[in-house]
Formats: sequence, C-alpha cells, structure tokens
Amino acid sequence: MTMSRRGLLVAGAGAAGAGLLAGCGSDTGRGGGGAKGAELSQWYHQYGEAGTEQAVQRYAAAYKKARVRVQWRPGNYDQQTAAALLTDSGPDVFEVNGPTLDQIQGGQVVDLTDLLKGVEDDFNPAVLAPKTYDGRIWGIPQVIDMQMLYYRRSLLKDAGVEPPATLDALVDAAKKLTTSKVKGLFLGNDGGAGVLGGTPLYAAGLQLVTEDGKVGFDDPAAARTLAKLHQLYADKSLLLGAPADWSDPSAFVQGLTAMQWSGLWALPQVRKELGDDFGVLPFPKDGGQGKPSVPVGAYGAAVSARGGHQEAAKEFVKWLWVERTDFQEDFALSYGFHIPARISLAKKAAGLRSGAAADAVRFTTDHGYAQPLLWTPASQTAYQDALSRIIRGGAGPEGELRAVVRKVTGELDRVKHAKKPS
Amino acid sequence: MDDALVRAGRALRLVLLVVLALVFLIPFYLLVRNGLSSEQDITSPEWTFFPGALRWGNVRELFDDPSVPFARSLLNSALIAVATTLGTLLLASLAGYGLARIPYRHANKVFYGILGTLLVPAAVTFVPSFVLVSSLGWISTLRGLIVPTLFSAFACFVFRQYFLGFPRELEDAAQVDGLGYWRTYWLVVVPNARPVFAAVGTIVFLGAWNSFLWPLVIGQDQNAWTVQVALSSFTTSQVIRLHELFVAAVVSVLPLLLVFLCFQRWIVAGVERSGID
Amino acid sequence: MRGRRTLWFWAFVGPFALGLALFTYVPLLWSVGLSFFDAHNTVTPTHFVGLDNYTAMLRDDAFVDSLKTFLVFTAFIVPATYVFSLSLALMVNRLEHARAFFRSVFFLPAACSYVVAALVWKMSIFNGVRFGLANTVLGWFGGDPVAWLSTTDPPWYWLVIVTVRLWLQAGFYMILFLAGLQRIDPVLYEAAAVDGARPGWTVLRHITLPQLRATSVAVVLLLVINAFQAFDEFYNLLSDARGYPPYARPPLVYLYYTALGQGQNLGLGSAGAVILALIIAVVTVGQARWLGLGRTDADG
Repeated sequence: MTMSRRGLLVAGAGAAGAGLLAGCGSDTGRGGGGAKGAELSQWYHQYGEAGTEQAVQRYAAAYKKARVRVQWRPGNYDQQTAAALLTDSGPDVFEVNGPTLDQIQGGQVVDLTDLLKGVEDDFNPAVLAPKTYDGRIWGIPQVIDMQMLYYRRSLLKDAGVEPPATLDALVDAAKKLTTSKVKGLFLGNDGGAGVLGGTPLYAAGLQLVTEDGKVGFDDPAAARTLAKLHQLYADKSLLLGAPADWSDPSAFVQGLTAMQWSGLWALPQVRKELGDDFGVLPFPKDGGQGKPSVPVGAYGAAVSARGGHQEAAKEFVKWLWVERTDFQEDFALSYGFHIPARISLAKKAAGLRSGAAADAVRFTTDHGYAQPLLWTPASQTAYQDALSRIIRGGAGPEGELRAVVRKVTGELDRVKHAKKPS
Repeated sequence: MDDALVRAGRALRLVLLVVLALVFLIPFYLLVRNGLSSEQDITSPEWTFFPGALRWGNVRELFDDPSVPFARSLLNSALIAVATTLGTLLLASLAGYGLARIPYRHANKVFYGILGTLLVPAAVTFVPSFVLVSSLGWISTLRGLIVPTLFSAFACFVFRQYFLGFPRELEDAAQVDGLGYWRTYWLVVVPNARPVFAAVGTIVFLGAWNSFLWPLVIGQDQNAWTVQVALSSFTTSQVIRLHELFVAAVVSVLPLLLVFLCFQRWIVAGVERSGID
Repeated sequence: MRGRRTLWFWAFVGPFALGLALFTYVPLLWSVGLSFFDAHNTVTPTHFVGLDNYTAMLRDDAFVDSLKTFLVFTAFIVPATYVFSLSLALMVNRLEHARAFFRSVFFLPAACSYVVAALVWKMSIFNGVRFGLANTVLGWFGGDPVAWLSTTDPPWYWLVIVTVRLWLQAGFYMILFLAGLQRIDPVLYEAAAVDGARPGWTVLRHITLPQLRATSVAVVLLLVINAFQAFDEFYNLLSDARGYPPYARPPLVYLYYTALGQGQNLGLGSAGAVILALIIAVVTVGQARWLGLGRTDADG
C-alpha cells in the first residue's frame, strides 16, 4: 500500500518534470550508451525473408563509430513509427514507407541532402523523387520493390488465351480461365481496391497527382477504366477470400488462380514451385492514351529530428546507405528479391539479368510509377474507399470519382499552404 | 401423456445442448488441428477435417525460432498479467470499499467521476497516453507496460457494488472490537470476499494477457514483447507462416484455459454474490 | 470525527483516484484540447482552429456512415446476444447432470483473445475458397462457395462478425444469467405450479423474466457499451496491409486510421473521438435512467 502510493507520487513528479526531462536525450531505460560515444537505435519493419534480421544486425555491428541497436518491429509499422516520432524515445534512424509529406512538413525528419552529394544520379530517379520535397532529400531509398502480374503459362495455353496486353483482354482472359475449381485472377481478398491503388489510372495514361500539384485523374477515362475492374468482379472471375492475401504467392502456386497480382519478392518461391510454367506482365494498358504500368516503391532510411544524436545518426546513415555498397547489394539480393536502389548495383546483379527477373527490371524502368509525395494518407483513404465501392459495390465510377477529386483537391490545397520545413 | 411430453422436451433440450457444445468446441479443434499441420495441410485445396499427420515438431520449431523470442514473451506476459492482476485487485478493492463504506460528503461525485471513464473508448486517449508514458521514460519497461493499466474503473465499480451488499453486521462487530477501517478491511472484509476477488482477478488477468495495442507500442524492445505481440509477428507484411501462427496461438491460449478452468467455480460464485448485476 | 473519516476515505480511494487522474483524465483532457487545434503529426500543436475539426468530422460522409454502422450493429447484436445467452442459461440451468460441463464449454471461449478468434474465423471457417469449413458445409448441400468477408451483396461479412462475437461473449453473459436464475426463490415456481401454470412460456414471462430484471439491466448496459466500443474483431477480421474496406467500419476503426496510422491527423481524430464519447455517454446515461439502474443501487 505505502509502496504503491510512493510509486504514484514518483509518477506524478515525473509527469510534472517531463518538460525538463525532454531535453535530456534518449536514455529511456533501454540501457546506457556504449563506451564508444553515442548509442543509436535503428528501426526496421519486420521482413518476412529468413536471414534479413541477422543481416541488418551484422551491418550494425560492423559500424565502429557508434553502437547501433537494431529494433525489429512486427505489426503495423507505420503506426508504431508515427507514434514513436511524437516522443523522445523513438528511433534515431528508421526505415519508413515515406517519409510522408506531413512528417517532412512537421519537421519530424532531418534533411539528408548533403549525404547524397555526388551520388544522387546513381539512385533510381523514380524512387528518389517521392523522397524529395522542396529540392531537398528526406529519405535515402534502400531497395526497390515492385509489383506485377504472374500468370500460369500452361493454364493460359489450355484455355487458348494469350497473355493479355490490354485491360479488356485481361477481363476476357480472366473470364475464360475461370472454372469451377480455378479462378481467373487474384487481385487480393478485397477484389483489388487495396493493392491496385493508382495503377489502373496510370495504365489509362493518367496519374494521381500532376507535376504542378493538381489532381491527375479528373478525366472521363478514369471512370471508364475503373468500371472494367468492376466487370472482373461481376463476372466472378476474381478469387476472393483466399487464406493468404495477394502479397503471398500461395494461392497462385497452389492452383487456386490462373493469374495473380503480387510482388517481386514472391518470384523465388514461384520459380521454386512452378519452374518455367509461369510468366510476368505489367498491368495492361487501357484506352488510346494508355500505357502499361507497374507500381514501384522504396523504403527509405530517415533520421528522426527528435533523436538525441542527429549528427551521429546522419553519419551512420551515410556510411550504411551511401558508402557501404557491399552491404546494400547484400541486403537487396541475398534474402528476399528486390532491385537495388542504386543503378550501378542493379546493373551488376547477375540474378536480375535473365528470365522473369529481367522482365521485372525492364517493367520497372519502362513502366514504373511511384506514389507521389503529395498523395497524402487522407487522399489515399478517400480514393481506396471509392475504388472498393466501385469494384465490389458496383457504385457509379463517375459519381465516386467526383467526390474523390473534391477531397483530394482539398488535401493538395492544405499541404500547399502548410508551413515549409524549417 | 404429460410425462411423455416433458421427457421429449428434456431429450430435445439435451440434443440441442450437445450440438451447440460441439459447435462451440470446433474453433478450438481447428486451432489445434492447424497448429499441428504442415503449411500445405492448412491451405491445401483437398482440405480435410482430420489432417494426415500430426506434426508435434511445430511446437519445437516455434520455441527454436531465432527471430521470435517466444519463450521470453510468454514469461513477459505471465509477469505482466500477474502484476497487473494483483495491482488492480489491491487498488480497485480499496477504492471500492472506501466508496461503499466510508461516509464522505463528495463520495458520490468521486464515484461518478470514476464510472464516467468507462464511457470513454480507450482509443480516444491512446496517443496522449503514449506520449505521457514515454515522457516518464517508461518505454520498453515493465513499469510502462503495467502501471498505466492498473486503474480499472470497471473493477472498482464491481467491488463497490459488492461491498454495498456485504453484510454490515460483520463490520459492525469489528468496529465494536475497536478495529479501525484499515484493520477491519484486512481482517474481516477481505477474507470474506474471496469470490469477488477471484472473479475480478480472472477478468483482469484475461484482459492483461490478451491485450495487444498497448504492449505493441510500449514494448519497443524485442525483450519486452508480450505473447500477443510475438503472435502478431507471424503475420508479417509479405509472407504469413501459417503453421507457426496457429501453433503459437494454441500455446498462447493454453495457460488461459487452465487458469479459467481452475477458477471457473470462483468466477461463478463471485458473480452470483457480487453486484455485477 | 468527520475529518478523520475524510482522511480514511482518501487513504482508501486516493491511490486509485490519483492513478486514474494521471493515466485517464490527463490524456482525456489532452485529447479534448487537441480537437481544437490543427494537429498533424504533433501533440503540442500551436495552430488553434476552433470548431473546424468538429464541423469537418460531422461533414465527413465516411465518419457519419461509420456512426450509422454502429447504430445498426448495436441494434442487432444487443438483442441477439441477450436472447442467445439467456437461452443458454435457461437450458443449462434446468440440467440435472453435467451442468458444470456445459457451463464450462460455453464459457471457455471467453478466455480467447479476439486476435486468436479472428484468426480461426478468417482463415479456417469463413475463408472464401471451397475448402473453408463453411463452404465445405455449403458444398454438401450443393451450394457454391461464398467469399464471406469479401462480398458486399449480400453482406455476408456480418454473419462472420456476429458469430465470432457471440462465440466469444455469450458464455460470459450466460454466467451472469445463471447467477440471476440461482437467486430466484423456488417457492415462486412452486406457487405457479399449484396455480396450474405449465412450465414454459407462461412461467418464463410471468416469473423468470421479471425476477431477472436486475440482471437484464446490467447485461443490456454492458452489451451496449461493448457494442459502441467495438474495434478488435472488426479490425482483425477485415483490415489488411493496405487499410480497411469502406463497409462494416465502426467509428473507432475509422478514427484509428485517421489519427494513429500514417494519417496522424490527431486534431481531427480527437474531435471524432469526442463526438463518439458524447454519443456513448448520452445513450448510456439515458438508457440507465430509462431502465432504472438507480434502483439496483438502492436494493444494494
């Protein structure tokens, strides 16, 4: 009883003194700093591929100027980093599916432009652009991930279907390939709204946000294209409710579906299970202005502005993600299957020169698009909701898109007038 | 004639109960079945109710997995759940007794102030709570995982209701013997209120063991993971390891089922005599 | 004397009240404060916007939709759980043998977390392929496989959500009802039998239900509060790496994505949370008044 009361008094005093403590660095009971100067904490989201965690631990251990503690985070990583960045006990260095525009504008991440001086051109411009705001770079791309369409050659041949080159052909093919046992196409358990995102718009020759910061899909072609996605659903050509979602190739290799949209990371497993009996395609083009498209993205290494050791953290990031190309190559190619973010490394990679992997690299170069920085989470939610209603609810695309355009215009307006990062 | 009707009704009821019981047990069976199957047997298109072979090796694989400290997480969960339960019982029962028995002008206001927090969804206060706890320096510590969850308005409410219905004669006798509130509470009230302690304790223990969001965000260090966090780590963003996920789910539920079966008698007794209703 | 009592009161209640103040009231007031600011990615905002967040939230179709969702959900799940758990209690209560066994079986799921239950429901019972348990059963009757969680017309996902909740919760409320049934004086039933009332509907309506009144009030209140705060099973059943579908989205799930994910619009999220908390408070207090919760207090 007395114990707990004393504990509470201490707690109360702690709260009152929190403002004072805020300046005292990031020693938060995670063990004191090492003998070699600062102790940095570095966060990664949990990669599924075996060996990745051991690899990043090895890189961290090889750094001599500071002790680096790697934290491997399961669960909703975006949410955890977002919450942690509000406090002083977050990471010093972290990988991020961004950083988002609000994180940059809110001054939560540090300007990393200087770190890339001289080597900017070696980074794939498609993934560097969304990490650049106001002419400065806020995250260093680690590896490139991309998604594409896997198809089963034998099943297409049996059904007399050519690999689809247009969206209309895809709709037809999916219908023809659907039997009582096998579905034609798997776009995720939600029918595609989540994973496809802006991809169909780019395939129709449109974009999410234009160069000059306007809505990029305020066009009748958008409604026409999205309506075709509903056709796939209405034809019952789509696999829905599979035990593993689109990111996992299980449904495809187990023969539940003849075609599946999935990531490049699935390629080794697909090759292992199916041998040569598969091919890959970009999302097929639609309409006269259309061109094939594949989404590309990169986790970026960023430095938190709240961390106690910003300079040491920047130095470490430069060491790992700019200087140590051997580690970058190992990270990209030895565990999962990714494309190195450095053009020079991607060219060297033997595993990417032939077969489906070479196709994937070509799609990335020729048809890759990355989600623009100005496409905020609020815009994404509004668009994804509408897409879901169009695909599964059969809602009218024109009306749904009108509402999205209104919402996105508001968001673009908001971020344009928000304060610049200091 | 009437007799036959009654007997038929009774038989029908029994059949219905048996069917319902089977339905209630199926999910447990599926959990175990999948936990002891190979990845293929779980997602195979030729799914069968009984798998080909039981793979007990899954359990060892789970504890040997170097990327997830599963044994450690079980220990953490046990520590946290026990500490949370004991702390909550102490704080909430004292408060409940004070509210029920010690005359104070503003007791009702205090009571409604406590009760009112039941209406506020925890998600509402989540981010400020997190920032508060982190500014105390409690991230990745047992303190941070336990202390903020000790103040359960629900537990306090149940204790108050129970003590309101507690036979006053016992306490009056104690007062006559010259015992103050403090000693009356420990010597007379607590020993006679075991069922409600068991009932509330079990509910708190379950909640602490099963809670997910708070430990996920507070337990940043892998050494501070709880079993629910470890469980969620089997559903990574790209590839799901189903058999490990299921066997981990089985292992995470087992201790609870044991606690539950042992204390069930107490829970029922506690509910019967408490003011939950 | 009174002073000493006051001291004792605070000695007993103080530690609890202090902790509650620090870990519930401080964050709560902080949240309310945030709701009047433009707080993107910060908990110490400087840009005061008055009621803008509130008007934005009330004009947001998605949020208003989510409020409607939970009204519908509550209107259904509360009576459904009530009837189901009461029926279980009545059946178990009249057993002469194996009562403890059945009670345990129905109560056992309460030990499961939503994460585990959702896992079984989503992956094993209600997956959308033909070898899922539900679809296998459908197949016996010649039905086509249904993508339970993925189709919106008809909205089968409600079946999944409702069954998982019933499985997890019915046992707990059954225990409450069993306790209530135990307290009914057997003399009442004997008197009814003498009066010629046949066991069954008449006795249930005229003796059992009125005698269970106090239990019923408590159960309904708990059910309503639980339904309003629904989050776990929805989130675990329907969310994926890319977000949450625009249907069956309760307010807490919507606010979660607004404020806690990368969205980090803490001002807007807090405003929505305050609106939700107010609705819950009004409904609960109104309901407590209407059902006469105060009377159980007086009964002691």
